[in-house]
Amino acid sequence: MGAVDASGGVAARAEELTKVYGEGHAAVRALDGVTVAFERARFTAIMGPSGSGKSTLLHCLAGLDTPTSGRVFLGDVDLTELSERQLTLLRREKVGFVFQAFNLIPTLSAAENITLPLDIAGRRVDRAWFDAVVDTVGLRDRLSHRPAELSGGEQQRVAGARALVARPEIVYADEPTGNLDSRSGAELLAFLRSAVDEHGQTIVMVTHDPVAASHADRIVFLADGRVVDEMREPTTERVLDRLKALEA
Amino acid sequence: MWRAALKGLFAKKLRLLLTAASIVLGVGFVAGTYVLTDTMARAFDQLFATVASDTDVVVRAASAFEVTGQGAGGDGTSGRRPIPASVLETVRAVQGVAEARPSVQGYAQLVDPRTGEAIGGFGPPTIGLSWDPGSTVLTLREGRAPQGPGEVVVDAGTARAHDLRVGQEVRVITTGGPQRFEIVGIAGFGETDNLAGATLALFELRTAQELFDRVGRYDEIAVDAAEGVSASELRARIQARLPEGVEAVTSTTVAAENADAFKEALGFFRTALLVFAGISLFVGSFIIFNTFSIITAQRTRELALLRALGATRRQVTASVLLEAVVVGLAASVVGVAAGVGIAAGLRALLGAFGVDLPGTALRVLPRTVLVSVAVGSAVTLMGSLLPARRAARVAPVEALRDRSEQPTGGGMRRRLLAGTALTAVGLAVLLFGLFGGSGSAAELVGAGAALTFLGVAALSPIVARPAALVLGRPLRALGVPGRLGQENAMRNPRRTAATAAALMVGLALVSMVSILSASLKASFTAALEETLRADLTVTTSSFQPFSPEVAERIRALPEVAAVAEFRQGLFRFRGEALLVTAVDPSTIERVAALDLREGSVASLAQGRVLVSADAARERGISLGDRLTLTFPGTGPEPLVVGGLHGEDRLVGDWVVSLATYERLYPEQLDTFVLLKGAEGVSPRALQAAVERAVADFPSLDVQDQAAFREKQAGFVDQLLNLVTVLLLLAVVIALVGIANTLGLSILERTREIGLLRAIGMTRRQLRSAVRWEAVIIAVFGALLGLVVGLGFGVALQRALAGEGLGELAIPAGRLVVSVVLAGLAGVVAAVGPARRAARLDVLRAIAHE
Repeated sequence: MGAVDASGGVAARAEELTKVYGEGHAAVRALDGVTVAFERARFTAIMGPSGSGKSTLLHCLAGLDTPTSGRVFLGDVDLTELSERQLTLLRREKVGFVFQAFNLIPTLSAAENITLPLDIAGRRVDRAWFDAVVDTVGLRDRLSHRPAELSGGEQQRVAGARALVARPEIVYADEPTGNLDSRSGAELLAFLRSAVDEHGQTIVMVTHDPVAASHADRIVFLADGRVVDEMREPTTERVLDRLKALEA
Repeated sequence: MWRAALKGLFAKKLRLLLTAASIVLGVGFVAGTYVLTDTMARAFDQLFATVASDTDVVVRAASAFEVTGQGAGGDGTSGRRPIPASVLETVRAVQGVAEARPSVQGYAQLVDPRTGEAIGGFGPPTIGLSWDPGSTVLTLREGRAPQGPGEVVVDAGTARAHDLRVGQEVRVITTGGPQRFEIVGIAGFGETDNLAGATLALFELRTAQELFDRVGRYDEIAVDAAEGVSASELRARIQARLPEGVEAVTSTTVAAENADAFKEALGFFRTALLVFAGISLFVGSFIIFNTFSIITAQRTRELALLRALGATRRQVTASVLLEAVVVGLAASVVGVAAGVGIAAGLRALLGAFGVDLPGTALRVLPRTVLVSVAVGSAVTLMGSLLPARRAARVAPVEALRDRSEQPTGGGMRRRLLAGTALTAVGLAVLLFGLFGGSGSAAELVGAGAALTFLGVAALSPIVARPAALVLGRPLRALGVPGRLGQENAMRNPRRTAATAAALMVGLALVSMVSILSASLKASFTAALEETLRADLTVTTSSFQPFSPEVAERIRALPEVAAVAEFRQGLFRFRGEALLVTAVDPSTIERVAALDLREGSVASLAQGRVLVSADAARERGISLGDRLTLTFPGTGPEPLVVGGLHGEDRLVGDWVVSLATYERLYPEQLDTFVLLKGAEGVSPRALQAAVERAVADFPSLDVQDQAAFREKQAGFVDQLLNLVTVLLLLAVVIALVGIANTLGLSILERTREIGLLRAIGMTRRQLRSAVRWEAVIIAVFGALLGLVVGLGFGVALQRALAGEGLGELAIPAGRLVVSVVLAGLAGVVAAVGPARRAARLDVLRAIAHE
């Protein structure tokens, strides 16, 4: 493992988290009493079949969605007690995001996109850290380009750099490699991995790709809105076996 | 195919609504104008018909030509000369005459006993009339008929408005000066309280003859036919007996004359309003063009799919046009309904500016509906033609591509050529209209201006990006919202420019009118400084003429050295209706510099006429020419040109002496009096003395040059405000356009907004970004308008330099304020879209396809 001490405790957790969409007969129970914790300075993947609630869990953890019941913590802060505005400020101070697609503002250059969360917050950009992140993703010579001039892989790496540059407590990635070819995907995953190993970043990633998941330290399996299993030190083969078992 | 188009349309109700709004307003204006003017036309037709029903034949002095609007003396009288009283006996002797009722009329202005202010004077005339006991139209509501000196009956409308009661004493100002009368009765025209706002003072016949200088004379004789005698038959019989210069006409002819005269005036009013409605619709077509451009761009994939499924280009074009027709029709129908409301509003607005209109039920003719709907639909269709053609060019393969950014830079070269050509042609037409001396100058100027607007609109996308870059620079200091606002305003220059262009039109016209009015004021001031030598001016608040008694009283003051009164009247020369000013040749040069180029002012005393050098040059007149001028009262008169003068702002193009005027016109009223103080009298003492002398003429203003100038400036400002209010609708439509564009852009940027919110942008920051975008668009449009308006304003001033607009003045403060206001208006336009953007559900926005 990496140079950073892994015994940093829990970065984020959910307690008895339930999310119900709709009402009455049409009600869908997307999350059904999920209790799960994510260790600091670790790379955790959330897997599960379509409709298992993995995206909903990520949205609730990130303060993008409000749970029906249960509690969500980021560090010591209970997200369910925060107002909409407080949630917004928390997202910009403490959370980094990488989405599956459409991660960048088309009118801004790559560099501007990377510093966007800091600029929104009116915070000063730490130049040394910015340079370090940019060099890690290998985008030095693409900084002045607009998103339309970047390849899909480059765009996702810019999004990754953006997620890291504000030194958030946690980075949530929602299918970050879903739209990438396997080589670009591997580059992005290597980048996320190095962020955890070299800088002690905490990352939680939702994916359905066993290859992507195998880059994580730990995998949490979801089915029908519940945590059904977890796996440490995963490999692609073990993940595939487990998924087959889950779907059977 | 049709179903697909219609379904697409109704799926987006809000879009439909906003797009339609711009057309609704313009069509509403058109319909409102028709409804208003039709309503007025009917009201006056009824009024004139009612008056005509009072009698069968009218006997009066023949007139060389019919004077429309106010009388030749400008006093509400007909401008005809009186007829000798002996005519009455002649008429009564004609077989078939049941009754012959003589009447006289003149100028009579009531003074409100409570406020001491003269009633009326601005707009409707103030008429004095003899009481006709045989009238079936004008009847008593209260009290009794006037029976002798010191008694007056007033109309019910004026009585109601000024709380006049029977038994009350009022002052009445007539040609002979102010006198006190007791109100003995209140009269009305059947149901109607008064004659379209005109004030009426009714006197016993003999009293009226004395008041109006008609002793032994009448103005008209109303003749009732005996049983079984037709009006036309009677007219012929009477005419056969009448002396020369006196005519008999049927009362229906009189009603038709009056109605025609009124309708001519109404026609000008209608045309003026329709011009503003046209401007609104023109701006509306920009909005339609822009909206359809955006929605067809947004529907690229949908259209491509239709093409892939086998729809022809023609069908795609037709589907867009169908949508336009449906929007246009729906908006026009709503617009007609709105027009009825606007008509009611316009009536109130004009009332606020002192133009009172009679109140009857609003009249909606089928023509109003047809024209409004046709115009609204046509404008919508025209606005959508280009977008429809562009939609047809969508290739089927686009259906399979990922949605990409709008193309932004394409076709700039062609645009540059087309825009430049359009602007050049527009300016050429405009300038030809202004300086070419063509008969249809107004039409040419209008068409040239419209083409110029289109040309500049076509060119504006080229400058939109650099403009937004410069305008947005200060915003970058405001952090991410400012920067995003700027970037968003720059990301699609075509869209930004088209949105701004709509505002450009309104702002250009507002700035042009501001420049013209400022120039008018400056020119007037300069002219006064050159011309006016008088210490004081005496005028009524609205240039309503007043009694010569005023000048007499002032002349008698020891503080006054010279008094010059001015009278005005209409005459006809070579088919043109023109204005003549009468002056006192012995005093005129002490109060005004006439800048005589040839001949002499003294020649006026020999009954000659002075013609301005400009008017003389235009008509090929030279000193000593014998001209035949036709006057309404006396007919053709030969007059010799005694001089050519350079000063034409104060006295106008045609000048005669007071003695000549008295010979030519029946009514002697002054329009203004200028005076010079005696040596050693302080300005203050002079003013006080004059004010004391005319104290019982409450409608008079005694002013020094500065105050007089200010009053004139006040008139110009009032006109400017009226025009600005009328142009405001075009600006409002442009703002609807900004809101519309922003709304559609935000829809397009849903995912982007979701992302911004996810990574921590607050709602407030998001709203502010949308606002800044709107401000940039609005200020860009305002600046474009300013540039075009400056050009138009300067060109018009140059063209009118010879018509009393010699000075160019650019009201910089006012122009800057209008740009700032445009920016603020942008903020207002952004309220809705900003709120919608801020309310977007983050999760749904992220997941938005």
